[in-house]
Amino acid sequence: MADIEVKMGDLKITRNPGNLVAPGIGSCLAITLYDPRLKVGALAHSMLARHRPGSDNHSAKYVDTAIDEMLKRMKILGGRKEDIECKLIGGANMFTNIKSDIGKENVISAKKKLKENGIKLVGESVGGSVGKSVEFSVVTGIVTVKIKF
Amino acid sequence: MKNKEDVLKKVSRTAADKASRVLSKLVDKEINIEVFKAEVKKVYKLDPIIGPEEVVAGIYLPVKGDINGASLLIFPKESAFEMSDLLLKRNSGTTRRLSELDKSALKEVGNIISGSYFSILANMLQIKIVEDVPIFSFDMFGAIVSEIITKFVQKADKALVIEVLFTSKSKKVKGYYLLLFELEQFDAILGSLKSLEDL
Repeated sequence: MADIEVKMGDLKITRNPGNLVAPGIGSCLAITLYDPRLKVGALAHSMLARHRPGSDNHSAKYVDTAIDEMLKRMKILGGRKEDIECKLIGGANMFTNIKSDIGKENVISAKKKLKENGIKLVGESVGGSVGKSVEFSVVTGIVTVKIKF
Repeated sequence: MKNKEDVLKKVSRTAADKASRVLSKLVDKEINIEVFKAEVKKVYKLDPIIGPEEVVAGIYLPVKGDINGASLLIFPKESAFEMSDLLLKRNSGTTRRLSELDKSALKEVGNIISGSYFSILANMLQIKIVEDVPIFSFDMFGAIVSEIITKFVQKADKALVIEVLFTSKSKKVKGYYLLLFELEQFDAILGSLKSLEDL
């Protein structure tokens, strides 16, 4: 089955056997949620930590609302919070000469939201200053992180 | 009445001509910067220009003053190597990894193009633009560009994308030059440039 690409500011959920992929992650955060019982996977490619009053309604763009949206959709497919496992990838600072907390804030926001919902964080590859690509197998739940060097 | 793209192309060509003269003088070799496309794109739709996993050299330069914005000069990996050969007078195909000297030289190209572009904008629009120092990154295009887009995402949704070709006697090197401003400023800049052209 062809890979499903999740572009910046977007999220996808599927139970079809195959991969969800997010190429070229920098300060953005790739959030994978997997239900091994149902073999349902969701991947968000979020840009900013928090949705604020006045922000647009594009839920996948913000880490907190992206997690809410993915959990909502997994529930519709029969998912239970106690079964769901999360992995986080990205949250880097690509231009190390300038101080930027965008990536760091994305990671903090995700961990807070996961804790609130009682979702297990089972793996992470976050921070640093290297771009990453994510390949998430919905068959096995395995997340492969690739770098270019 | 000219359309927005024509005006942008004209301003971009003037900036490129100015930058060509400065760059040629710097490397003591005729280098011409040609503009073959200048268009306004939604920031979300930038990544089809280059694949998100493609490795590029990115020279990021923020600006402040009367406007808040940034420029990003992008060279796909092989173009960055070719450009380094050209700037540092090496035989074509010599550079296979970027040294600190190569990075400095590429940063200087970003400085020169941005200097030309912003000085023309400042003069035409009678505004103050203060350039910061250029910052270099060599990584996946998606990772680099998304960080910059994210800085502007709540304040801007458009970028001016200029495709440029650096040509010398023996070489042609392709690059991309992106300009981002806060949303209201972007529209104001485009509007002012257009009305100046219509006079």
